[in-house]
Amino acid sequence: MNRAIGRVGTAVIALMLMLVGMLTYLQVIHADDLANDPRNVRAALKDINLPRGPIVTTDGEVVARSVPVDDGTEFDYQREYPHGNLYPQVVGYQSFVLGSTGVERTYNDHLVGRDPALRLEGIGDVFSGQEAVGTVVLSLDHQLQEIARDALGDQRGSVVALDPTTGEILAMYSNPTYDPSGLAGHDTKQINQVYKFLSALPDKPDLSRAYRERYAPGSTFKTVTASVALETGLATPETPYPEIRSLDLPLTDAELSNFGGQSCGGTLAVSFRRSCNTTFGQIGLDLAEAFVAGAAAFGIGDVPPIDLVPEAALSIGPRAGTFQDEQPQFALAGIGQGPVSTTPLQMALIAAGIANGGVIMEPHVVKEIRDADGDVVRTIPVREWKTAISPVTAQAVGAMMVSVVEDGTGTAAQISGVTVAGKTGTAQTDTGDPHAWFVAFAPAEAPTIAIAVLVEHGGSFGSEATGGRVAAPIAAAVMRAHLGR
Amino acid sequence: MKSRRNVELRLGLLAVGITGLGYVLVQLPEKSDIPADLWFFVTIFVGLYVLAHMAVLQFAPNADPSLLPLAAMLNGIGFVTISRLDPDLARTQVGWMAAGMAAFFGTLVVVRRIRTLERYRYTFLLLGLLALLLPLAPGIGKTINGARLWVGIGPINFQPGEAAKVLLVIFFAAYLVDKRELLSSGSRRLGRLVLPSVKHLGPLLLAWAVSILVMVMQKDLGSSLLFFAVFGAMLYAATERAAYLITALVLFVGGATIAHRLFDHVQDRVTTWLDPWPVAADEGFQVVQSWFAFGTGGFSGTGLGRGNPQLIPNAPTDFVFSAIGEELGLIGAVAVIAAILMFVGSGFRIALEAERPFPKLFAAGLTVIMGVQTFVIIGGVTRVIPLTGVTLPFISYGGSSLVANFVVLGLLLRISDDNARARGLVRRRTSAPTGATPS
Repeated sequence: MNRAIGRVGTAVIALMLMLVGMLTYLQVIHADDLANDPRNVRAALKDINLPRGPIVTTDGEVVARSVPVDDGTEFDYQREYPHGNLYPQVVGYQSFVLGSTGVERTYNDHLVGRDPALRLEGIGDVFSGQEAVGTVVLSLDHQLQEIARDALGDQRGSVVALDPTTGEILAMYSNPTYDPSGLAGHDTKQINQVYKFLSALPDKPDLSRAYRERYAPGSTFKTVTASVALETGLATPETPYPEIRSLDLPLTDAELSNFGGQSCGGTLAVSFRRSCNTTFGQIGLDLAEAFVAGAAAFGIGDVPPIDLVPEAALSIGPRAGTFQDEQPQFALAGIGQGPVSTTPLQMALIAAGIANGGVIMEPHVVKEIRDADGDVVRTIPVREWKTAISPVTAQAVGAMMVSVVEDGTGTAAQISGVTVAGKTGTAQTDTGDPHAWFVAFAPAEAPTIAIAVLVEHGGSFGSEATGGRVAAPIAAAVMRAHLGR
Repeated sequence: MKSRRNVELRLGLLAVGITGLGYVLVQLPEKSDIPADLWFFVTIFVGLYVLAHMAVLQFAPNADPSLLPLAAMLNGIGFVTISRLDPDLARTQVGWMAAGMAAFFGTLVVVRRIRTLERYRYTFLLLGLLALLLPLAPGIGKTINGARLWVGIGPINFQPGEAAKVLLVIFFAAYLVDKRELLSSGSRRLGRLVLPSVKHLGPLLLAWAVSILVMVMQKDLGSSLLFFAVFGAMLYAATERAAYLITALVLFVGGATIAHRLFDHVQDRVTTWLDPWPVAADEGFQVVQSWFAFGTGGFSGTGLGRGNPQLIPNAPTDFVFSAIGEELGLIGAVAVIAAILMFVGSGFRIALEAERPFPKLFAAGLTVIMGVQTFVIIGGVTRVIPLTGVTLPFISYGGSSLVANFVVLGLLLRISDDNARARGLVRRRTSAPTGATPS
């Protein structure tokens, strides 16, 4: 029996070594990934009892702060969100049950003072008794954020505004929203209840629609279609397109109609101002596979590198290698329907790229980090994300967008004394009334703001809604405030 | 053999010392002073250990000196981890430790000769099957956490399945020793494999089938797996025929496949084993949290009392090893595995040293229980195999398991003592024929 017992013993040793092997994988090789996984709340827990700096807007409004409490729990601080449901999609929350999200997570190390730059400054503070926590300064403007909220009202949708020259987000709001205070408490049961309640709501208020949800962009995507047509040399603004009611879609019996069934056409510039589906459907077909690369240059298919957790959703466009078999999809893509699905953030970035001579800057919501004395210890760098088109193309598309606001579908976005460039969109959906869109930038000569507004299912206008009627006035309100008009 | 006991005493005091230090460390991050009840618990722990040591000195003076200190060490680490997770449970666990020590003492006192057990094999079979079936009895049977493994009489709940493991291993050892000639000679051949005739396998298959059936009815996959492994290993050890291992494997794979088809909870376990991430918030929560615990612990751990092992569900019982992995890191986790491996190594050495077949096979069976049980639960919490709930020997919270483990410890020490005396006898016979014979 001894030989067999020896073998059994060897087998047991082998099993134990297997366990040691797995442990080595978990605790050494894969350890960092597991420790930093967003679903692992331990990192948030580790910092929950540390003093934590405030988060303020660029105009000095406090949107998150920690106050010392003695509420009989093991926690020494309570995180507060004074503006409740105005900022949750940007600032996020710090919860000892759910972990943390948004700026609370991406800039956690700065908030608790773990940033070496803060440490260095903090040496002196050891003697003065001050905590070496950082103040995170958002690029968001509190006034704009409030105007975005008020303009959207109780309609479901998103507003994303940014500085096209730096990528700094100036306002980012979506409705429905929620108050993160209920998730930052000290009672596990209560937090779970609030979380369950929020997740179960059909409106999904905890979803950051502005950068996490995709929608058909409709005619606002014609900015991309026109850009690619010019950039590839397929057309110039003067290239004529026929005045027709509908476009036959190849390989099918279906056809593509203009808005309201009208006949539409003219030069590319005129077609753009009138938002002719027939023209841009034709361009989508003519571009064929070149459309894919052209859209990719605007960041379609890539995750915008915004400084938030959870990360932004990527937007999708016509799929590479499918033109041969699915030509109608390229016609639909030309008018921002069919395979095209974008986030409001992505549409704002497209407008920003056209505004910035064809270069899209990396979007970010934080501008700088300050120490307890208010001195800036770190500035978030300004970087280029994509070179979408040449300055010449950007100039030409910008001029077409100006005509949209001057005497096209977007006149509701006019601001007296300022040239506004914009494009409306009314996107068909399978689920109800069309989405109303508007993308814009201003002043057209030297833009300081680019914006995308989406109102889901037409908002208060329902089936009567168009981008020009519903979304353009909201964009105008925000731009007007930014430009001080 | 006096020196063996001195080694045991010193190693044991080391284990007690480590436990005391651990107990202090666990409390420090919260209170930064020495816990008031430290002396109370250390006194009890030292007291229990010294009593156990004296019991060995009195009733098994020539037994292996490493098993008791290893058990004390594992038990101490378990106690510290439990006290870190839930102080109330830790207090109860002290009671269970006392009960375990009593069972240990009782085993050494009652079982004076291991071969006595051999004689009552069918009684043990009956008792074992009874113990397995008891939780199914209406009135006293109880379902806790979806598994009907418990018997509740008055305020006390216990798992008779833990006792059944030991009882059935006694039966199998005795039965296999009896029948191993028949089983290994075989009557038919299949290529190189020698097949035994079915009638000799009868009682074995019956016991096997009953244990599997009960396990399925009680929804306890871990114990089912454990039984298969232990009986397969014992059958192989007794006959040295690979055919039995293959048969056991085929039976196991067949049983597992059928269970997977029939039972949702088995499918859940397999799904969350293969990929828990899509269901990380639901069925996969436990395993994912366990992985997070190991990853956060990393190489050296967060330090006792400084991690968040309370985030893992069932941390004091099924997931106690994840809590150790988080706070003591890879170093602590591997140290625990090494201690269990040393325990298992000593167990196999005792089996190899035994001269008579029954104690040899019995010791091997008991040792395999310890080894495989460790693999099943640690493998489950690290996702090497699907998660099934069995306890980690000497470490997990739980009275039935702890008592059973101390009985196993007592039995192994008894066999070891017998071995040493048998060897001593042989030596004395060659040198001094008139020497006293302790048989």
